[in-house]
Amino acid sequence: MPKKAIIICVTGGKGGTGKTFVAVNLAIMFKNNGNDVLLIDGDVENPNTYLLMGAQLENKKEVPYFIPKIVEEKCTKCGLCAQNCVAHALLHIENSFPIPMLTVCTGCKLCYKICPEEAIEADSKVMGWIYKTKIKNISLLIGELKPSEARSATIVEALMEDLDEIIRNEPEKFDIIILDTAPGAHCDVELLISKADIVIPVTEPTKFGKIDLTRIIELIDLIKKDYRTIVNRSSLLGFRDEFLKNLKENNIHILGDIPFDEDIVSSYCQGLPLMDQSNKFKHSKGYKAFKIIFKELDNWLISKQIEITG
Amino acid sequence: MVILAVPTFGNGGLNELLNPRFGRCDSFTFITIEKGNIKEVRTVSNSASGAMGGAGIQAAQIVGNNGAKELIAGFLGPNAAQSLNALNIKIYQAPNQQMTVKQCIELYLQGKLLEMNSANVGAHYGMGPGMGGGRGMGRGAGRGMGRRDQF
Repeated sequence: MPKKAIIICVTGGKGGTGKTFVAVNLAIMFKNNGNDVLLIDGDVENPNTYLLMGAQLENKKEVPYFIPKIVEEKCTKCGLCAQNCVAHALLHIENSFPIPMLTVCTGCKLCYKICPEEAIEADSKVMGWIYKTKIKNISLLIGELKPSEARSATIVEALMEDLDEIIRNEPEKFDIIILDTAPGAHCDVELLISKADIVIPVTEPTKFGKIDLTRIIELIDLIKKDYRTIVNRSSLLGFRDEFLKNLKENNIHILGDIPFDEDIVSSYCQGLPLMDQSNKFKHSKGYKAFKIIFKELDNWLISKQIEITG
Repeated sequence: MVILAVPTFGNGGLNELLNPRFGRCDSFTFITIEKGNIKEVRTVSNSASGAMGGAGIQAAQIVGNNGAKELIAGFLGPNAAQSLNALNIKIYQAPNQQMTVKQCIELYLQGKLLEMNSANVGAHYGMGPGMGGGRGMGRGAGRGMGRRDQF
């Protein structure tokens, strides 16, 4: 039986809780354990994983987005396209060519498909880019939305198409695939969670952290995925025990917690991954906490009868 | 001869009040003007008034399909403004007070209305509650903002 990669989605609802920090350091720990790791940055509005890994954006590939183009030589001005456009993105008045309103066009291609005269051509504009690179023996796939554009899901979909292609064509290439999501509980995040075998929401011991965690867990439950939470900066202002107790009382599954640690801040400021064995953070509180979390993650995977090869 | 469109309340007509909401007005009153006189008045109900989205674009389509080349409007959203510009429809800012269609036409004929060429409110502005006729119209936005020719 061919080996199947384990897909772990790191998410969390709230922004700034440490999703990217956890995703990058998990990737490094799996790699240190001898696994082939692919890290996908699905936070396409602010892709930062490569910065923390010290990588460069390389192998840029454009992500195209459909826009309709009216071929006036073929168009009979019948208006069928405008009548059927759900977004009302085609402006048509009698005896005139339809006018595409690109700001409201959702790129669904319905007009292109139903035009009886084939008078609508599939034109495209660039919605963003995908980058492929490799650093510290970890493969990186990064999505970036073009500034000023709104349809981030297009980029996440393109990333997932690339992922499907990798799984289809090179199923043995990776042992572990880590997906880093944007904050929030929207369609981009949903798409990434739905691809995962297990989900790790990252939160912090604040009211915002708890409410956003509740929202993301609702989404994870809806997609019927198994999750365990990491509480980051858990020692912040001494709310750790109360916060963890509160989560347990609400039946929220916990993987572990990472205390507030100046060494983590320092590693972040310098753009050096905490768990990189070559650096100086080995004796920090954060490093030790991360080791415990990794052990718990291993136990969790074993309990789910998912075996990590490598 | 020019056909002028005015978004109106109820069934519309010369004695009806101008509706400050463009995309979600109840009806449009179309006034044909020839040599400075009102020649014909027609009313068309606005099928876009309850649309989930894209009301401005659909309303612009109704205006265009009824042959109007000019429009008097209160609040105009970005999609409506873009659509009207694409159809080369000249837009005049309605005065900042309640007014019947007839009163608006008089000001128009006296050349007292100002032209505007871009949106003066954000998207979905007209969807919220409390947008009744008692609300002041227009904000003077778009004054002296250049000609439509740039489109």
